[in-house]
Amino acid sequence: MQLNRRRELSLDLWAVLLLFPLIAVPFLTNNSLVYSLTHQVVIGLVATLGVYIMLRMDLLAFTVPAFMAIGGYAAAIVTKSGSSNLLLLMAAAFVVPALFAIPLGALVLRLKGTYFIFITYIFNEILQLLIFETPTLTGGSDGIAGLPPAAMFGIELSSPRMLLLVTITVGIVAALATLAVTHRFRPEFSSIEENETLAQSLGVAVWKYRSIGFIASAGVSGLAGFALVNQLSTAHPSSFASFSAINYIAYVFVGGRRTMLGPVVGTVLLVSMSNAFSSQAQYSSALFGLLLIAVVTIAPGGLVGTGQRLVAALGSRFRGKALASEPNKTHANGEHV
Amino acid sequence: MESIISTGLIGLSLGTQYALISIGFTLIFGILGVINFAHGGFYILGGYVAFTLSHTLGLPYVAAVVIATLATGVLGYVIEFVLVDKHVNDHIATMILTLGIYLVMTTGIIGVYGPEPAEFTFPVSGAWRSGGVYMPYSNLIVFVVCTLAIAGVYYLIFKTRYGIALRAMADDRAVATAQGIRPSRMFPLAFGIATSLAGLTGALVTPILALEPHGGEAVVTKAFIIVILGGLGSVGGATVAAFIVGMVESYTSVYFGGSKGALALFVLVLVILLVRPSGLMGRETRKA
Amino acid sequence: MKPALNTASGSLRVEALAKHFGGLKVFDGISFTVPPGEVLGVIGPNGAGKTTLINVMCGMLAPTSGRVVLGDHDITGKSFHAISQLGVVRSFQQTNTFRSASVEENLFRAERFSAARRGPDLGLPALLEEFGLARHLHEPSDKLPYGLQKMLGLVMVLAVRPRFLLLDEPVAGLERRERTQLDRFVEHAREKLGCGVLIVEHDMELVRRLCPQIVVLEAGRLLASGAPDEVLSRRDVIDAYLGATEEE
Repeated sequence: MQLNRRRELSLDLWAVLLLFPLIAVPFLTNNSLVYSLTHQVVIGLVATLGVYIMLRMDLLAFTVPAFMAIGGYAAAIVTKSGSSNLLLLMAAAFVVPALFAIPLGALVLRLKGTYFIFITYIFNEILQLLIFETPTLTGGSDGIAGLPPAAMFGIELSSPRMLLLVTITVGIVAALATLAVTHRFRPEFSSIEENETLAQSLGVAVWKYRSIGFIASAGVSGLAGFALVNQLSTAHPSSFASFSAINYIAYVFVGGRRTMLGPVVGTVLLVSMSNAFSSQAQYSSALFGLLLIAVVTIAPGGLVGTGQRLVAALGSRFRGKALASEPNKTHANGEHV
Repeated sequence: MESIISTGLIGLSLGTQYALISIGFTLIFGILGVINFAHGGFYILGGYVAFTLSHTLGLPYVAAVVIATLATGVLGYVIEFVLVDKHVNDHIATMILTLGIYLVMTTGIIGVYGPEPAEFTFPVSGAWRSGGVYMPYSNLIVFVVCTLAIAGVYYLIFKTRYGIALRAMADDRAVATAQGIRPSRMFPLAFGIATSLAGLTGALVTPILALEPHGGEAVVTKAFIIVILGGLGSVGGATVAAFIVGMVESYTSVYFGGSKGALALFVLVLVILLVRPSGLMGRETRKA
Repeated sequence: MKPALNTASGSLRVEALAKHFGGLKVFDGISFTVPPGEVLGVIGPNGAGKTTLINVMCGMLAPTSGRVVLGDHDITGKSFHAISQLGVVRSFQQTNTFRSASVEENLFRAERFSAARRGPDLGLPALLEEFGLARHLHEPSDKLPYGLQKMLGLVMVLAVRPRFLLLDEPVAGLERRERTQLDRFVEHAREKLGCGVLIVEHDMELVRRLCPQIVVLEAGRLLASGAPDEVLSRRDVIDAYLGATEEE
């Protein structure tokens, strides 16, 4: 799949732009099912973006639920201590997990990628146990319930409409943060992903960029955790079960791992599907499984990647300029050998 | 004093179970470069097959275990051949692929057996008591069988030509292929052997612990910890680490109870990794 | 040849360098110097340890003992990327580019990653034209023929603005007529950057053409050093190569 910086940027921008129309949802309807679906999609998307950032460097981060928990609990603890200002809570939800990511990153990011996978997987388990073992801070297995909703300008944003707007706002902020990080460091991330040895030989301090990505991933995941806690008014360990990492990973692989549009497509599709199957949860599980198998065996670029290939193939059919609008860009498949 | 010994015996039994699973996992990872997320699925499938054969069809337990072992082995062989083989050495791709396989397996199990735990009991009850030391016969038998299986695997890996070829592939695939060793024959068989070990362990252990569709999840987590601790790709390391984990788990759950034990284990792993990142017996890890 | 203004003075020195893997000794007691702006050839039969030597010098492997010194700076044991940022950059024997990225993107990244962003113009467009890469600027690099990929790899290394180049068999696999491109490349690097160059090679003609000084590595030790004509006529050097054929 030919890389093309401009095209990837435009797909990323589309992904962010697609979030803005969601703001209309709470004003167009009062349907609680639609609200619930929108919450799930946006929160799921933010968590998936946490996975996506690390995937840009070919690292699979299972830490997303753990950092969601840290962010969610941090916001809950700040709220219980008296302040429920939305901006403060969002800042806490981003910064606290990011701070945790620094020492954890220093431990694991200098080692091989496979260690990263294993250790991040274990980290989730550790965090769950820590939550259970610290009831004074986190409420243990009961969690922290009855949280007042976030507030802006002193007004509690407690109506269902306001709660949804908060989630959507968090989603947009998280998407912008992801865009900023992945765009600013795109050449470094892509080089590390594709050929780490070569990148190092040219002077790229790989561990430094891995750390930046890891910290950003932690912060973004923390935002997802906050949105979830705010929606439920509760911080509870069951919201952050290790196995939920599987869902976010599925969303990004099925959607497409090359651009931010992939997580958007994957999350919308799979969350909708599992809602449709809600009475038989195991069938949605099987569907996820089949989709993952399909992605690896026949469609490595996910839905977005496959879509791009189709468009490129059609474009060369008609010998026109397909997606790119600049005159000096050419497609590899468009060239005549 | 007696309880210390009893706990230790349980720890040893756990150690052999974990060793069987982790050795299988390590074989797949070391030789094929595949992170087998479905390993827990084969474990639990072994349990369910043995359950159906012995409790529903009335076959003797021993026969059920043997057939379950073979069945999971064959399934592993087929899965490797059909799905996994082309993606060998791509860690993320195979992880996602085996993850998908695991999800499908679990759904299949729920579809056939329902979501509730199955009533699978070990055919031998009672315990061995001597001078205050206590060990259920079930654990004892499992310990013996697992030890024999481990010995068998070691013999296979270190003494037979096939095993030497496997280790050559793990060490340096290019050289091994140049020497005439053919991966296309070796890989499905290696995978199948590894999954049969998981199935065997499942058939033996689930009647003692529990048999329910999601029982495989914890297995993968255990395997991850043990493999990291022992050093990625090292069979010897996995064995040693398995026993360490088994003992630590046994003692902490008896003397500290609940999640503290598990937490202690994780902290132990982290500390060891800080000191020796390549694990107990792993190879040099590259600096980023 | 006048060195370019932005290169600091100082040579790249290797002192009593040794590398063992467990019980296996790859090389031992290696010492030589690459003066700034000069070219040094490293030759020797296969298995003599030449590639490992480069791996150790550039930081991919840590030496078992000995030092690597850049100017006054001891760079022994520094990480691969740090040594690259200090200006000692290696090329690879196999083609090594960012495969799915275009030629243009590959160069963009190399320039961006360079620690020494500023400096006199490298004249890359002319070089690309000369090597036949200019008309493939927007093609993915893995679609290029072998020879072009290798030259792209070299141009990328140049784009990083190194002080010293460590070239690992730069013409291996290239056609005879393509090999003179390396002469142009080395000339260009010395002219624009005042680079010192270390070349590991089997092509004796090339070595004689480009290297006023060479060292011979055999069975992990430094067998001889000096001017090519002198060294290559020595009895022990010829014996070391007995049975080994020159690359065409």
